[in-house]
Amino acid sequence: APIILSDSPPAAAAGAEPALTAAQKALRSKPARAPEDPDKKNKKLKDVEISFPIVYGTISFWLGKKASEYNSHKWTVYIRSATNEDLSVIVKRVVFQLHPSFTNPTRVVEQPPFELSESGWGEFEIAITLYFHSDVCEKRLDLFHQLKLYPEEDAGPQSTKKPVVVETYDEVVFPEPTEAFFLRVQNHPAATVPRLPPGPMELMSHDKKRFDTKDHSLSQWFSNFSEADELLKLAAARQQVQAHIAKLRRQLSMIEGMPQQSRVISGPGQQFGHG
Amino acid sequence: PGPLTTVFPNPGSVSPRESSRHPPCRGRKTVRTLTLARSTGVPVLLRPSSMDAKDILGLQKTSFPSAQEKKPRAPKEPQRKPDGVSREVYALTGGVGMAPLMPTIEASHLKRRPAVEKEKVAWQWLPFTSSARTDNLQLYHWVRVVNNVPPTGDYDFAKYNTKVDVLKYTDEEYEKYLTEPTWSREETDQLFELCQRFDLRFIVIADRFPTARSVEDLKSRYYSVTRALLIARARSFDEVAGNPLVKETFNAAHETERKRALSALFSQTKQQERKDAEVLAEAKRIMESRAANKNVEEAGAPTSLPNAAVPADGVSPLSNNLPSSAATHPAAAANTSIPDTLRMLKVYLRTHALDQMVQAVTASAGIRMIKRVDQTLQDLGVNLKPKVPTKAVCAEHLELRNEILTLLNIQKQLQNKEAEVLANRESSFTEAPTTPKRSNRDIDRPFVPDMAGFGEVREQSNGITRGRPLGDLMHPPRQPRARGLGR
Repeated sequence: APIILSDSPPAAAAGAEPALTAAQKALRSKPARAPEDPDKKNKKLKDVEISFPIVYGTISFWLGKKASEYNSHKWTVYIRSATNEDLSVIVKRVVFQLHPSFTNPTRVVEQPPFELSESGWGEFEIAITLYFHSDVCEKRLDLFHQLKLYPEEDAGPQSTKKPVVVETYDEVVFPEPTEAFFLRVQNHPAATVPRLPPGPMELMSHDKKRFDTKDHSLSQWFSNFSEADELLKLAAARQQVQAHIAKLRRQLSMIEGMPQQSRVISGPGQQFGHG
Repeated sequence: PGPLTTVFPNPGSVSPRESSRHPPCRGRKTVRTLTLARSTGVPVLLRPSSMDAKDILGLQKTSFPSAQEKKPRAPKEPQRKPDGVSREVYALTGGVGMAPLMPTIEASHLKRRPAVEKEKVAWQWLPFTSSARTDNLQLYHWVRVVNNVPPTGDYDFAKYNTKVDVLKYTDEEYEKYLTEPTWSREETDQLFELCQRFDLRFIVIADRFPTARSVEDLKSRYYSVTRALLIARARSFDEVAGNPLVKETFNAAHETERKRALSALFSQTKQQERKDAEVLAEAKRIMESRAANKNVEEAGAPTSLPNAAVPADGVSPLSNNLPSSAATHPAAAANTSIPDTLRMLKVYLRTHALDQMVQAVTASAGIRMIKRVDQTLQDLGVNLKPKVPTKAVCAEHLELRNEILTLLNIQKQLQNKEAEVLANRESSFTEAPTTPKRSNRDIDRPFVPDMAGFGEVREQSNGITRGRPLGDLMHPPRQPRARGLGR
């Protein structure tokens, strides 16, 4: 199962290897209990964070010959698991709030796939509200997405075959899940749950494209969100900054040590572009 | 030449007759003099009229000039009322319409109207009594009498004669409830008599009190006696529980301390005042940065600032420590604290969490600093908002931001130090070096992606070094990479 390595203390970057997390310790040391124990349902696990990587967005197709002035594109708005797993494990229903010019602008989707297709001519902001199962969370979560029908200016003429896809990656975080919830989802592929640090292959598996054949053809347009690129870039940037800091600190201590001598006034104008 | 051809007359040779055929190349005045010349010599300041147009065009007048002069003069006379205003301005501002349309004061109103009053009002010098007076002094005053009926009722100002109810105790009550080791019966009696006399003005009472007792002492005795009396006299405690005398007890110790502190504050020297202000400002700054990290969600009890009575000695070490700790402070704080808005949420988006953390840092570091951080991020090629905000990515992003903050703070420190050094050296050299400016330019953008700027800097520095004995400063041979100059 493609699960991102993550550990509950936020300061731990990829690669940290603590021992058993608090949750795992708690679970292992606990004597076996009947699952209907009411305490278990309500007990909140602190320091355990369950997150669900999601992707939400729109795909819009130009209608080409069949396009009219008020009906130029057909589009679909959706929210899915980042790895195309089943979100109904936590999501009870999704409500898409459309522009008031649509009839019944409040569209409710109670089953996966959580998506809505419509046709129209205008771009507007769609509100996507997630309602979770009662054991997951009582509160709802709101997301907003701007529907984009027309491609970028330099993309050339529209085609009915190539859609305009705008997707946003995010993660739904439950900071203090109940034990019941935790147990229910801890092995679900859509969830990211803190567990023992796995081997180095874990990071790469996130890149793998998951293709669920039961999905319809829209999934061919889904983007792949890889955290590896971003992590690498961030790490490189941090290194640069740290090196720079060290250099400046040296200069600072030099200046502080020699008050009256004529010394070089040096600034941090070093080139990093080719460094 | 016809009437409309433009033939400019020779200067100085303009005859009225000729020039009337030419369009006036000067202003209106020219036209005016034309009419003047043409008329019988009576000066007429006319408003723009058709006569002027005809003059300009050189057309013949259709009526006799003299008759024309007289006729328009009469109706136009009333219109030339404003002598102080030039004609054009008068015309511009509306001319005739300047007279007010509404009558402002009717002259008839100024005459005294015989007041048709229904009542007969007279003023009489009458005697009166006041409930505020306890003697039988008979006083008189003017009274407005209506229809021969003098007004009734108490003297109007008697209601302001408030009195305090100072309780009087009997001997029995004194014996039972009010004895006190430090107070004799006599003293207590004297106190109460004074209280009655002076309406509880304790400063005066203290002054008049036969034996030397402090104001707090007197107050304390009075209030405790009254309280005990009230409670003793009431049938149940609840009856008087609402009475403020019963509810609150007089806290003599607190009062003494308060007055002492007040007098100490009042008699502070200027230096002490300054020191106190410094401490307070610093404490406020620390509180604010702490509060910013905690977020407003915590609300509730506002943390109180230290008492002014705190000794002002420990100020200087505090102010010295602040610059160095400021660099680490935002970094450390942002790293460990989770904003309280997040704590309250049962579910949230990772991007939202990241936003909150960044905002927390913004609050403590300032908007300018954050803009510079953002710029640096861009220069490094990092997205300001991560495209794939996983937990690890967000953590790295935050760490990077904090490190950049540290970097910027150190740069600033370095800048300051260098400026300091240069300022020191300036006393030995008379020429004003421009190097501080140069070092500033590069400091703000340490990761400038393009190289173009550096060539420019070099040229300018060459201009400066020409003919100056500070060559060793400008082109240090042993640091070829400093400031991009040595390449």
